[in-house]
Amino acid sequence: MPDDKNYYEIDPQGKLSCRKCGVPLVKGDAVFGYLDNAFPVQLPVCPKCGFVYVPEELAMGKVLSVEKVLEDK
Amino acid sequence: MDFTERSTRVYRTKQLYTKEELELRESRCVHEQPAFCAAVCPLKLDAREFARLCSEGDFASARAMLERITPFPLILACGCEAPCASACRLGELPGGEGLDFPALERAAMRLGAPRSGRGLLKFRKKKSAAVFGAELFTLAAAAELARKSYPTTFFVAESCAEELISRCAPFLPEADVLAEAERLCGMDMDVRYSCDLSPELFASLSGNYDLLCVSRDFLLELDASAEPDPVTLLCPSPGVLSRPSGERGVLGALYDARRAGVSADRMAQGMDPATLRGEEGPVVSRLHTDLSSAVPSRRTGEPRGGYDSAAARAEASRCIQCECVECLRGCAYLRHYGKFPRILTREIYNNAGIIMGDHMMNKALNSCALCGQCSVVCPNGYDMAEICLSARENMVATGKMSLAVHEFALYDQIFSNTEGFLARPQPGHDRCRYLFFPGCQAAAIAPEVVARAYSDLCARLEGGVAIMLGCCGAISRWAGRTELSAETDSQLRSALDELGNPEIIAACPTCAVTLGGLSPGGVRGIWDVLLELGLPASASHAGASASLHDACGARGDARTQGAVREIVRRLGFELTENGWSGDRAPCCGYGGLVSYANPEVASELARSCLDGPPDRPQITYCMACRDRLAREGAQSVHILELVYGVQAAQTPGISEKRRNRLLLKQTLLRDIWGEDLKNEPLGFRLDITGEARALMEQRMILDTDVAAVMRAYRESGEAVLDADSGLLSARLRLGNVTFWVKFTEDSEGYTVHRVYSHRMTVETR
Repeated sequence: MPDDKNYYEIDPQGKLSCRKCGVPLVKGDAVFGYLDNAFPVQLPVCPKCGFVYVPEELAMGKVLSVEKVLEDK
Repeated sequence: MDFTERSTRVYRTKQLYTKEELELRESRCVHEQPAFCAAVCPLKLDAREFARLCSEGDFASARAMLERITPFPLILACGCEAPCASACRLGELPGGEGLDFPALERAAMRLGAPRSGRGLLKFRKKKSAAVFGAELFTLAAAAELARKSYPTTFFVAESCAEELISRCAPFLPEADVLAEAERLCGMDMDVRYSCDLSPELFASLSGNYDLLCVSRDFLLELDASAEPDPVTLLCPSPGVLSRPSGERGVLGALYDARRAGVSADRMAQGMDPATLRGEEGPVVSRLHTDLSSAVPSRRTGEPRGGYDSAAARAEASRCIQCECVECLRGCAYLRHYGKFPRILTREIYNNAGIIMGDHMMNKALNSCALCGQCSVVCPNGYDMAEICLSARENMVATGKMSLAVHEFALYDQIFSNTEGFLARPQPGHDRCRYLFFPGCQAAAIAPEVVARAYSDLCARLEGGVAIMLGCCGAISRWAGRTELSAETDSQLRSALDELGNPEIIAACPTCAVTLGGLSPGGVRGIWDVLLELGLPASASHAGASASLHDACGARGDARTQGAVREIVRRLGFELTENGWSGDRAPCCGYGGLVSYANPEVASELARSCLDGPPDRPQITYCMACRDRLAREGAQSVHILELVYGVQAAQTPGISEKRRNRLLLKQTLLRDIWGEDLKNEPLGFRLDITGEARALMEQRMILDTDVAAVMRAYRESGEAVLDADSGLLSARLRLGNVTFWVKFTEDSEGYTVHRVYSHRMTVETR
C-alpha cells in the first residue's frame, strides 16, 4: 500500500476542533495497525494534544473493509 | 481469560485430516454418484440427462448424446438390451414401470436433427488399422478406429453396405438399415467388399497394418484355440483384437468395440494395452433416491412408427431425475452456499492448509450451525458439524481464526460466568440433591420465568435445589476455543463439587448435552421433572392449535422430545407437525454462533424453522430458538413461559440481555438469600436516542461500552467537536476494539446520537 494514501477527504473548512485544547484539527500523519499490519494515513489530528479523529464514515467504510480482508489472511 | 489479536505474520498450519480421513468423509456424500440408469450402461450414456433433454423436447441434443457414445446409434436404439430401463427406480414402485429408454432413443434418432457441420479438423494418424470379417463387433470396431483417425481398411465378404449392415444387425428395420448403411458410407474408412476372407489373405495383408482386428469366426479360422484377453481383447498369438467367446448381445458388442479402440490406442503408442484404461463398463451407483413422493406410472405405449414428439416428451417426463439432495432440502446453510457436503469439505480442508493468502472459506465454515441435522437427514450420515467444528478448532490452534467473528459471544460467555455467575445451595441445605441450571439465554430473555421455575422446584422437590446461573460453555465449544471450554468446565465442575454434585435439572437441551459429563449426579431436562411432579397451578391451558420447534440440542434425544410433547398436550395444545420436526428439525440460527458470523445465514435458518400461519403459536423448548424465531416474526413461546404463565419481552437487545442476567442474579440474591448487591450508580445522565440504540444492536455495542467511553471523556475531556452537527465525538479503546460515541452534553449529562467502533489501532507518527 503506497504511503500517505488518502481514504478520507479532510474537511478544509476547519469545522472540526479539539474540545480539550480548543484548536481546530489539522491534517496529520497517523498510522492504522491491525494484526501486525500497519497502514500510514492522513487523518484530522489535534496539533496540541495529538488526538486522532477517526470519522464514522471512514471507520464503518474503508477501515471495516480492510479489517475484514486482514481477518481472512 | 482475555483474548488478544493474532498476527497475520505467523505462518503456521496444521493438516486438518490425513488424505484417508478426508476421503472417508467425502465418500459419504453420494450426490455426485451417477444415476442408476447411467451407472449400468457400459457405454456410459448419461440416461438421466438423456431423459431430461427428451422431456424438454431437445431431441437434437439427445440424438447427439447417442451419436457420441456409439458410431451406430440406430443399431443401439433398436437392439440394445437396455439395462438402464431395468435399473430405473420407477420400476420399484408398486405398479410402476421403468422408463422405456430404447423407445426414447429411437424417438431421439428420428425426431432430433442430425449435427450439421463437419466438426473438428482431424489429422489422420500414422498407424493404420485393418479389420477382417463382418459381425456387429468388427463393424463397430472399424468405425471406432476410423473415428480415432486411424486410416482403417475393413475387409468383408459382403457385397455392399446394406448387406453388411443387415448381416451385422439382422434385427434392424429396413429403413434403419439404409440409414446406417449411409452412415457407414459417410465414414472415413475404406471398406473392401466381396473379399475372400481366408487365412492366406490375412497372412498376405497383415504385415501392411499396425493394428489388426478380426471377427470371432475369422479368429477361429486363424487359430482355433485362440482366446482374447477378457479386458484388453488382445489375442497375442495372431496379434489381433477380437471378441471374447460367449453371447454378449448388441450392447456387449458395441462395448467390446469401444474397449478394442482403447486397446488400439495403447498399442499404437507402444504401451501395454492393459495400462491406464480408466474406469470401463457398468458401475454400482451408491446414489440415494427418495422415492417416498414418487408416483407410480406406466410406460407410454410405443406405436408401430415410434413415438411422436408429444409421446416421447410424455414418456421422458416420467423420469424423476434421481439425485440425492436430502441435506440441501433440510439445511438453509447448505442451500445458501449451494454446495454439497463433499465439495464443501474439500474446500474447508484446503482452506485449513493455506499458509499465506486469503482463507476464502472462513465465513462458510463459521456459518454452519453445528446442529447435526445433516447427519440425520443424509442417508450416509454426513456430518458437516464435525467437519466445521474441527476446522474451527484447527484454525484457532494455528492462529488463523479471526477473533472478530466470535469475540462478542466469547465475552458474553465470560460475562455469564463472572459478573452474571451465581452458584448457591437452597437456603437450609449445605449440599443439595438437585441443581437448577436455566442456561444463559433463559436468564437473558426470560428472567422472570427462571425465578418462578426455581421457586417451584424448591417448593416441590425434596433434598434441596441449588441454582447455577451461568453459561454451560457451548459458546466457546462452538467457537473452537478449547482453552476457554476447558476453563469453563473446570469452573463449573468445582462449583458443582462445592454444592455436593447434585443432579442437574437443565432448562436448555444444549446445556443438558454440554453439562452431560460434568456432574457425577447426572443431568436431566426440567420437562422430565415437570412431568413427574405434574404441571404447576400457574400453567396456562390455552387449548389452541400450535406447532412445535424441536431444539437441535435435543436431536437424537427421544425422551426430551417426547416429554415436551406430553407437556404441550397437557397444556391443552393440539400440535401440528410437519416432516421437519423431531430429529430432522432445522436449527434456529443461534447454534454454532451463526448469528455472529453470518447474520444473513442465521436469518435464513430461522426462517426455515417457521411453521404454519404467523399467528399460530410456535412452541419452543430452547430460549435461543424462541428469540431467533420471534425475530423472524413468529409467535414463538418457550414452553416454560406457558408452564409458569409469564410472558417474556418479545426480543430483548444485546444490552438488555446482559442487564436481565444481572438483574436476575440480584433479585434472587435479595429475595432468597437476603443479600443486597448495590449497583454502582453511573453518576450522570446518559440518554441514548432510538437511532443510536439501533446502531448499537447492529454494531454489537453494549450500553456498558458507551458508559465507559463517557466516563473516560469526563476524566480526560478529550473529544472532537463537529461545528456543523454540533456533536462531540469521544473514544475509548476497550480490549481489542475502539468505541466512538457521538453525543451532545448539558449540565446533567449526555445524549448519545451515534456510536461506531473499529478494531484497528490508530496512532500518530
